This record gives sequence, structure tokens and C-alpha cells, in this order.
Amino acid sequence: MTAHTLTSNHPARSLTAPPASVIAYARGLVKTYGTGETEVRALDGIDVDFARGELTAIMGPSGSGKSSLMHCMAGLDTVTAGTVIVDDMNVGRMSQRQLTALRRTRLGFIFQSFNLIPTLTAAENITLPLDIARRPVDRAHFAAIVAAVGLEDRLHHRPSELSGGQQQRVACARALVARPAVVFADEPTGNLDSKSAGDLLRFLRGSVDDLGQTVVMVTHDARAAAYAHRVLFLADGRLVQELTDPTQASVLDVMRSMGDETETEHEHDGARR
Amino acid sequence: MTRVALRGIRAHLVRFLLSLLAVTLGVAFVAGTLSLRTMMGSTFSGIVASSMQADVYVRGSEPAASAAQAGSSAGDVREAIPADLARTLNTVDGVRHALPAVSGPIVLVGADGTAVVSSQAPTFGMALHPDDDTLDIVAGRSPVGAGEIALESATLESSGLTVGDETSVVLAGEVQAVSVVGEVSLGAPMAGATIVFLDVATSNAAYAPEGLVASVDVYGDTGVDEQILVERVGAALAAADAAGVETVTGTAMRTEATADINDMLGFVQTFMLVFAGISLFVGAFIISNTFAMSVQQRMREFALLRAVGASPGQVFASILIQAAVVGLVGSALGIAAGLGLVSLVRMAVAQIGMNLSGSIPLDPATVVISLLVGTLVSIAAAALPARRAALTPPVEAMREAGGARSRSLRLRSIVGSVLTVAGLAGLVAAWSRPDPDGPALLGLGAAGVVVGVLVLAPVIARYSLSAMAAVFVVAVKPLGRLARGNVIRNPRRTANTAGALMIGMALVGAASVLAASATVSTRAIVDDGWIADFSVQSAAGVVPTGVVADLRALDTVDSVDELRYGPAMLAPAAGGTVAERSIIVVALPPAALGHTLDFDAVEGTLAGFAAGQLAVQRSVADDRGWTVGDDVTFTTAAGEASAPIGAIVDTAVIGAPIIMPDDAFERIVPSSQIAIDSLLITSAASATPAEVRDDLTGAAAPYVVLSVLDKEEFAGQLAGQVDQILGILYAMLALSIIIAILGIVNTLALSVIERTREIGLMRAVGLGRMQLAGIITIESILTALFGTVLGMAVGVGIASLMPAVFTGIGLTELAIPWGQLASMLGVAALVGVLAALWPAIHAARLPVLQAVSAD
Ligand SMILES: Nc1ncnc2c1ncn2[C@@H]1O[C@H](COP(=O)(O)OP(=O)(O)OP(=O)(O)O)[C@@H](O)[C@H]1O
Ligand SMILES: [Mg+2]
Repeated sequence: MTAHTLTSNHPARSLTAPPASVIAYARGLVKTYGTGETEVRALDGIDVDFARGELTAIMGPSGSGKSSLMHCMAGLDTVTAGTVIVDDMNVGRMSQRQLTALRRTRLGFIFQSFNLIPTLTAAENITLPLDIARRPVDRAHFAAIVAAVGLEDRLHHRPSELSGGQQQRVACARALVARPAVVFADEPTGNLDSKSAGDLLRFLRGSVDDLGQTVVMVTHDARAAAYAHRVLFLADGRLVQELTDPTQASVLDVMRSMGDETETEHEHDGARR
Repeated sequence: MTRVALRGIRAHLVRFLLSLLAVTLGVAFVAGTLSLRTMMGSTFSGIVASSMQADVYVRGSEPAASAAQAGSSAGDVREAIPADLARTLNTVDGVRHALPAVSGPIVLVGADGTAVVSSQAPTFGMALHPDDDTLDIVAGRSPVGAGEIALESATLESSGLTVGDETSVVLAGEVQAVSVVGEVSLGAPMAGATIVFLDVATSNAAYAPEGLVASVDVYGDTGVDEQILVERVGAALAAADAAGVETVTGTAMRTEATADINDMLGFVQTFMLVFAGISLFVGAFIISNTFAMSVQQRMREFALLRAVGASPGQVFASILIQAAVVGLVGSALGIAAGLGLVSLVRMAVAQIGMNLSGSIPLDPATVVISLLVGTLVSIAAAALPARRAALTPPVEAMREAGGARSRSLRLRSIVGSVLTVAGLAGLVAAWSRPDPDGPALLGLGAAGVVVGVLVLAPVIARYSLSAMAAVFVVAVKPLGRLARGNVIRNPRRTANTAGALMIGMALVGAASVLAASATVSTRAIVDDGWIADFSVQSAAGVVPTGVVADLRALDTVDSVDELRYGPAMLAPAAGGTVAERSIIVVALPPAALGHTLDFDAVEGTLAGFAAGQLAVQRSVADDRGWTVGDDVTFTTAAGEASAPIGAIVDTAVIGAPIIMPDDAFERIVPSSQIAIDSLLITSAASATPAEVRDDLTGAAAPYVVLSVLDKEEFAGQLAGQVDQILGILYAMLALSIIIAILGIVNTLALSVIERTREIGLMRAVGLGRMQLAGIITIESILTALFGTVLGMAVGVGIASLMPAVFTGIGLTELAIPWGQLASMLGVAALVGVLAALWPAIHAARLPVLQAVSAD
């Protein structure tokens, strides 16, 4: 359990190619919204590596750029500057068409809420990315995932007939069914009670440990972060801290120390240019 | 609350623009129809005003039988009066001049050597009195003598002639060479009428050979009141002992004429009102659908309002205020769009030679009706969803994250089934018991079925859409399945969207079955009854008498039978008004029976036809209670004349109610009213068809308007008339289908907005833009196909019963044009693709992230 502070612009690191164990990384990643007077620098030169077969948690105060980072990494949004490489592909340089294809099978995404198509059953929602890509469904893999999320008897229900926790588990199953290189999850447990959240996190961790998946997840909850192999802390669009093998207590410690540092800025959150 | 309502409109501008579009479209159709009607009305009253400017009219006091031709003069036709009266009246104090009105049929040969005819308007010749100052000679001079004519300005233009040209006219059955010496303006567009002005003596000789005219038009000195003039003229007539005449003021005469024209236009008006009704119905569908959707989408917003303390009444009112604003603005735009439509229509009819009045009328009635209709329909359409929004508990609405709560369709099933079954019962009754209630029952039954099916449509949609979608589910994976989910998730909406198209397609289906049946029926009639080798017909409606002798003189012709018609007046003993006693009769030479025309008696026998017995159509005999052996008594100039009924016939070969032999006809119908409809010709045994045709064509050529037809061509010509009517019908239906397409666009666009998050999510999961566009297109095609199939089923089903009901008017055979109907399905698919275009592009352009986080 080590905790060390990272300086934001890491000239030495931004030039080095990451080791082979890294499946996705960003170098000098900048994301700004708006122009001129109203410009907001959501990501301010980020260098980050996500290791293969790890569950990484991303934490930070509201507005620190967590969602922006996920969106840029997943090719859901364009980057302003810097490179994003996922699974040896330069996400920042890809056309819409290529990004679409990438999202189908190489990336999984879980949103905080509204993850499912209301007209499709749970099973249809899970296989949607494969159906869209017109790829056959690996039945054994499908069964394994469904069993892992415990949805065997809910497969033919529609989203409106499922609880919030069940819906999020369906979303997880969907994100994993195509064996993507990386799964990005933006506050997947944000709307869940602690029991459902625990189930979901155990499942995500299990998918990493048992299926060898790579998962990156944003969370505000120290208990959730404790399920991760590694926790990254963001503030003002920069990586400020990193924890490996976190526990709830160590995460809370870092959060508390960060809270002190960023308190003043927190108040001017909206006014940040 | 008003502020909240108006803010709501601003905040959801796109949704409201779409509702606005719906209102605009619906109202455009209504306003367009109404103002087209006004425009036609004003065109004709313009004609009345400019062609009937006298202060007093003197006319026969006794009504006479009339062929009800839209010919020379409007108004009921009366006994003619002596033209001489004009001389007496000219001496009356205050009379500037009194002119006998002399007019009648004429054929004018245009610059291209063919007759100047307009299919929509009459052709007539009239005297150009040198005294008549209501006419303005704009170029040249008045005609003098039989060899000169003047032409009305529009006639001059459409004929291609210029003042100074030589041409010919067919007057009183004879071809005459004439030169055009003047151009005359009547000061108003004449709706395509062809008007030839003749010298007084020439027109008197042609149209008033016995010195009798329809009226004498009296013009007063300036400043002399109509009423005073009427009294003076009346006194003068009484002093002169003129019997059987009456005087009317110009105002009264013009009112009468306008009313008569409106009567004649009655059919057109009814027809157009039916279309206005349909358009309104279609428009209401779109409006209510749009409001239902936009209220559904904003359910959460209303819940929030409720949660912060707004009462249900306030929520209800706020939605209605929005509806009223949208309704008013939309109606105003719709009126403008409607006028645009009318000017398009006017340009189109100008192409076929019918000039309608210059200014497009924007009369207060049209404006008020359109505004009211648009606003009220909007409010009414919003009321139901508004009630629902107001009454839904706030908590429930907040929870219901945009997902449609499906309401029970039970009430709909019951009401729809009852209506449909009642309608079907009406149809069956109409079918099993043809005359006389048939048409009314058929109409009621059809209305019942159409409305019933519309009400039932969501129920039908729920079950049939899955089946229809199966093809797509299998063919385009996984888009088909996603599209199916979208169309059946809210069957009510899909059905309502398709409703507008359904109505249009029902009409198209019915029209095409009717057209096919009519074509086949006329074919059958020609095959069965029209056994002449050739016939000669006139584009002007009346065959000049002169040609008969010319044709009989040909060596290659064996016989020429004249088929003549004219009006007769049943004796007052028959009861009823003058109009009811007036009847069209057709005359045949007895030799024509079985020789050039063939039909059988259904009761009695045609053996006595040659001896003066009548043949009466069955429907007429049933109506008037006549049976074989009854005497039918007519009023004629020479007293009463009667003839026995020898046979009841049921034939469509001759459309007239009574068929009589020539000699009886000549006794009963005034000779001035007799007209030759067509000539039926048999070839001489030695001549080949080609020779006969050449001879006939050569002999008919000088008369310009005549055409020579063999059996094939005759049938083709009848079919052509059907096609022409059908063309107009299709043009109007096309309008309702365009509106229906826009309705689909509207619904799709709204549903794309409604599904923004869902679309973002699918895109995030890897759905490509083209795939997304594909889904929306499939949805659109499914909706369009659903509306089309349902509409066609209803329309074709109802139209299939019509031959059984309308056998009496010649619709004897039923033909269903399967190929054409199948191609309509293709059209429907195309409609679907077109309608999806904009919504699909819009959806594909949505940025993924923004879409996912849209609320
Ligand atoms: N579409 C956008 N347009 C303008 N500014 C944006 C947009 N999206 C995010 N931002 C700004 O970028 C900054 C980072 O936002 P981001 O959503 O990444 O924060 P976050 O860390 O995910 O916050 P939270 O914990 O509240 O979800 C914020 O200041 C935010 O206001
Ligand atoms: Mg966030």
C-alpha cells in the first residue's frame, strides 16, 4: 500500500512508451469545453496508464474531470490535445465510423443510469453490441456472464420490470459480453443502495480476476474504490494522487487530504476558467 | 401560469414547431378548399355581374322543359317570348334601349384548324347589338352580315386567332366561312367559356328563327331606379296586351342566376367540402397526435409543477393555453399556405384553359372558419392528454422516466368493434337491397366502418405490426427488431400516425376499384349493346344536322341512325314541381333497334316501339310507379300528348330515362330543343372498314368538332373520360397523402426527440449512423405500410360493394386492379422512406454524449 503524489505535467513520462502490460493510455490529454471567455479546461494535460487485467478506480471532487476523462478514453468525445491509445489504436485519430466499430466490440461503457433500451428484453439488451456488429453470440460466455450477475431468471424481462440494481447488472453484462479490451464505467453504482452496489462491484472485480477483463470505473464512494486494484485521484483536470491496493481507510485518508487542498477552489468550481 | 405556459413553448421550440406544422398543414387544406370554392363562386358571379347588366328583364312567365344545359343563359328555362317586344319597350319613358337576348350553340374553328373547346365551359354565340354598351369593343369593329364575327378577348386568345383572320364556324348545323373583325371584352374572366359575337340578323336567323327569344333585356337611362323601371315596363307590356310575360329587376335576375349557378356548382362544392372534411379529419389526427406526444414527453415537467404546488386545473389550463397559441399561430400560417395552394391550383386549371378570377379571395368566412377550426381542433386535441397530465399524481409522473405507460385499449376495442360491426351491417344491407336506399345505406355503412376501423386501429396495430415487422426482423438484423420494438411499444401512436394515411389510402383504394370497375363496365356495355360499325360524335356535345345528309350520301355507308335527345315536360297530372316533371328523352329510329343498338326489355316488349310505344328505364319506372301498359302524358306546345309504355328496359347503352321512337319524340319535344347526340353508322357490305372510315372522316372534317369512332375507339373514349375524372380525384387525394406523409415525418421527428437518450445509448454501444437511420426508416415504412394496408382493405372492401348498389347507373361489373393496388404498397414503402429522411438525418447527427445526457 503506497501513496505518492504525482506532478501533473510529467515531461519524462509523456515521451516514454508504456510497458506491454498497459492496455490503454493517454499522453498530454487536454480537453476544453467552450471557447474564449467561457472556456473550461476539464482535462489539463493528463498522462495515465491503465494496466491489462486490472480494476482501476478514478476519484476526485465534482467537476474535476472524471467523466471527461472516461469519455475521451472511450472515444465518446473528441480530445482537444494529446493522444489516447486503446488496445494499440489511436482513438483521437479515428473517424466516426472507426469509433463506432471500436465501441461495438473493443470497448464497453456503463453509464450511471439509463443504460438499457426499454423495448428490448434483458437478454436482448445484453447481446445488443454483438447484434449490432452482427457477430455471433458466444453462448457459453453469455451464460457465464449471466450467471455471474445472477440474472438467469430475469432474462426475458424488460428494463421497466427490473430493479435499478438489476438494470445496472444487465448493463455490466452487456459491457462485458463482447470481451472488450476495456470497460469504462461512469459511477455505475451511483444510483444504487449499498447492498446492490456491493453485488455489482464484486461482479466487476470478478470479471477482472476471473475473466481477465480490464475495467476503469469512476466513483465517489471510498467503499467502492476499495474494490479496485488501483485508485487515481483527479483534481482540476490533473492527476494528483495514486493508490495501489487501496482500502476504504486509505482512500478516505487521501480524500480528506485532498479535500483540504482543494476546498478553496471547490467553492469557485463553476468560475474556473 | 400563463407565463409558465408561454415559457414552455419557448423552451420546447422544436416540439412546438412540429405541432405548429401539423396545425398549419391541416388548416392549409381547409382554407385552401374553402377559398377555392369562394374563388369559383366569385368567378361565376363575376360572369353574372358582367354578362347580366340590364336593369329590367322581360321573360316568359311559364316555365318550360329544359335540357338543363349550362348553355346560353342561366336561370330556369321559360317559354320563349316574342323578340318584337323590344320595339314596344324601347318607347317606354326612362328606357335607354331594350335588346332581345339572342344566343345559342356555335362551333368556332381556331387558328390550328380544330374546334375551340373547353371541356369545362360552354361555347355559345350571341348577338352583338350595336346599342349594347355593356360590351366593350377593344379592337376592330362589330360584325356585319353572316360572314363576320367578333370574339370575346379570352376566346380570341385561346383560339389563337387575331382580328382580321379568316376562319369558319358551324352555325345552325352548317359550316360557314367567316372573318374575325373585332375583339370584345366583357370586363371579367369568363371561366373558359368560348363566346362568339354575331351580327343581329345572323343570330336572329340562327337562334330565333320564329322571332322568339328567352328574354328582352331593358337598360334604363342613368339615374332611373330599377324598381320604377320595372313598373313602367310592366305597365307598357300590359298596355300592349303581351300575354305570358313577366318582368323582373336586374338585381333579382342576377340573384336568381347566381343561385342557379351555385346549384350547378353544387356537386363541385359538395365534392370539395367532402375533401375539406377529410383534410380536417386528417389534420386533426396529426394535431392530436403531436399534442399527445409532446404532453407525454413533458410529463415530468408537469409533475414538477404539480410538486411545487400547481393545481391540476392550472396544469390543464397551461397546456390548453399552449394549444391555443399553437392553434392560432398555426391556423394563421395555414391560411397563408392554403392560399398558396389555391394559386397553384389556379395555375393548374389555367393550363386546361379555365381562367378563374384574378384575385385569390380571402373572405372573412374562410379566415374565421379556418382560425376556429385550427384553434378548436388544437385545443380539443390537447384536452385529453392535458387532462391526463393534470390528473397523474406527481410522484408517478416523476418516476415514469419518459417511458410511455400503456393505457388499456379495452374501451377502444369495444367502441371500435361496435362501430365497425354496425357499419358492416349497413354495407350488407345496402348490398342485399339495392334501390332505393342503397346509396344512403352504403354511405352510412362506409362511414361507420371507416370510423370504426380508425378507432380500432391501435388494437389492430398491436397484433398486425408484429407480423408485418417479422420480415424486417429476419431480413435486417438487428435493426428490424429494434424498429419493431419502437413501433409496437406505443400502438396507439403508431395507429394514429398511420390514421391520416389510412384515410387517404382508403380513398385511393376505393377510387381505383371504382375506376377499374367503371372501365370494365363501359367496356361490357359497348360490347353488349353498341353494335354499329362506326359512330360519329361531337366534341361540342351536339352533332350539326348538316352532316347527316352528307354521310348518308356516301357509297360506303349503309345506314346512318340519329340518336337524338331533348327535354320533355310531363303533364301536371304526374304531380311534382316543374323541375321534377322535366325529363330528358332520347329518340331512336325504330330501325336502329337490333341494327345499331341492342338492348332487351326486362318487362313487356320492344315490339311496339315502331308503333309509338315507349321504353322506360327500370329505375325511373320504379321511381314514378309506371308499369307496362301505362300511358305517359306530356305537355307540349300543341297541348297534351301521350304514349303508352311498351317495355321496361334496364340498359346502360342509353343513359336517358325514356327512349321513344322518332315520330313520338318530334311530337313531344319542341323542335328548337332537339339535339343530335351521335350518329350510328353501318357500313355497306362491299366496303372495307378502312374505306368506310376514310369516307366518314372526309365527310365529317369540315364540321371540325366531329370524330369518327369504331367500337374499340368508342370504348376507349369512354374509358378516357373515366381516367380524366380519376386524374382530378387522384390529384386531390395526393394532397391528403402528402399531408399524411408530413404527419409521419412529424411523429417520427417527435419520437426521435423523445428517444434522444436511447439513441445516444445505442450509439455509445456501437450503433452506426447508417444503422440508426435504417431503424428509423424501417419504423417509418412499417407505419406507412400499416396505414396503407388497412386503408386499402377498407377502401377496396367498400368499393367492391358499389357495383351491386349502383348497377342502375351503369356500374355493372366489379374489377379489382390488383396490380395497381400492389404498386400502391410500393408507393407506401416509398412514402415511408421519404418520411423517414429528415428524422433519420436528424437522429444520426445527434452527438452521442449530448444525446446520452439529454433529459
Ligand atoms: N459539455 C460540456 N460543456 C461545457 N463544460 C463541460 C461540459 N462537460 C463538462 N464540462 C465541465 O468540465 C468540467 C469537468 O466535468 P466532468 O463532467 O468531467 O466532471 P466530473 O469529475 O465527472 O464531475 P462529477 O463528479 O460531478 O460527475 C466541469 O467543470 C464541467 O463543468
Ligand atoms: Mg461525472
